[in-house]
Amino acid sequence: MDFKDLASRLEIDEDDFMELVELFVTTTFSDIDKIKKGVEKGNCQDVAAASHSIKGAAGNLGFEDMFTLARDMEMQARQGNLDHFEDWVPDLENKVNALKNI
Amino acid sequence: MGKKQPYTVLAVDDNLLNLKLIEKSLSKEGYKIFSADNGPDARVIAVKEKPDLILLDIEMPGENGFDVIKKLKDNSQTNAIPVIFLTGVSEVDSKLKGFDLGAVDYITKPFHPLEVLARVRIHLKLSIATNSLIAGQASKLRQVTEAQVSMLPTPEDNPEALFGVYYKALEEAGGDFYDILNISEKITGYFVADFSGHDIKISYMTASVKALLAQNCTPVYSPAESMKMINDVLVEILPDGKYLTACYMHINRTTKKLTIINAGHPPVVCLPVDGDPYLIKTQGDVLGMFKDAHFGTRSIDVSRGDRFFVYSDGLVESAKNKITWASGADSLLPVYQQIAEVPYDKAPAELVNHLFGKDCPPEDDIVVLCVKV
Repeated sequence: MDFKDLASRLEIDEDDFMELVELFVTTTFSDIDKIKKGVEKGNCQDVAAASHSIKGAAGNLGFEDMFTLARDMEMQARQGNLDHFEDWVPDLENKVNALKNI
Repeated sequence: MGKKQPYTVLAVDDNLLNLKLIEKSLSKEGYKIFSADNGPDARVIAVKEKPDLILLDIEMPGENGFDVIKKLKDNSQTNAIPVIFLTGVSEVDSKLKGFDLGAVDYITKPFHPLEVLARVRIHLKLSIATNSLIAGQASKLRQVTEAQVSMLPTPEDNPEALFGVYYKALEEAGGDFYDILNISEKITGYFVADFSGHDIKISYMTASVKALLAQNCTPVYSPAESMKMINDVLVEILPDGKYLTACYMHINRTTKKLTIINAGHPPVVCLPVDGDPYLIKTQGDVLGMFKDAHFGTRSIDVSRGDRFFVYSDGLVESAKNKITWASGADSLLPVYQQIAEVPYDKAPAELVNHLFGKDCPPEDDIVVLCVKV
């Protein structure tokens, strides 16, 4: 992932972008926690809301694969369906962790 | 707004990343950003800081964006602050609902910081323009109020107009009104009017008429043209059933020409410097009632020292004695003869004194102008 390119697309400098990425990692893990709890309880509304939050933030920073994944999660949760989340949640966690390591 | 710097924006989003992105993008352009990650905090900040604009996320846990904007719009301290919604790209209903609730615009998420900046800028500009429009209108209204205070010009303030006046309103919102228009050094307009009815609306209408006179009684327009334009505006703005009878007398002291435009008003009395008083009778429509009104018009040559009396119907009518001005005006001519020697500035009061005496107060509002050529 080319942070320099993403930063320049948002017309902010790289340091600021890195600060945003750190914040994204923190908020997204917190949202992932909410998704996990929602899935456990079968609470689709909570799952959809947390997915929606991740979708918006990922989209804003230009993290397209996370945006697409969160969008699918939200859409499905809104339809009352929590299938596939056992695969999607770890996938999302891996993507966020990958950011941490850059 | 105008002088306050920097402009302030309140960003409301439950996602801290989004808040930070907005803050970074806008603050580097000189805006001061307040942030809230929930509705109740946002409303407290809005009241306390009075931001110039609010960026508001719709989808938030607890109090959502719709709830927040409803409460902001219900609060007089925050209802004028423009609100831009942040909403998902596919949420058409949300966008429409946002507009319904008073949002000025929306930004779809994910958003690009430059789009946020552009929309913030354009809505601040609109807001500045609206505020300056409001300030302009408020200042004009203040001018109207000031005009009302000085609604009735005094002979002392207009010595070159050579007039005396008697004015008596039976109620605060009297129906009678007069104005003196100094059109040029040697040209003066004298306007006497009587509004149908007596109510508080009249005080606003007199202000409007005064403003119209000032705008339209200029050297560019003939007296007939001035009255036509005033009539056409009054037809538009007067409430149904309201009209005025009016007399506009225009004197050019250089050419010694006098023009009278009469709109259903009692006739002007001429008291020549050498000769008997007579009525200048003309027939015409009232003012402010008909779009294609026809007014009685008369132009006469005058001599230095001639006097003219313009007055409202209260002077010559009597409900008790069933006298209308059509007959009342004629019967009063001898009285003018009797006050011929009274200086013009004292003549109106003397005339009223002659007619009513001290013990018999007038039944209606009265205005009498005596003008000397």
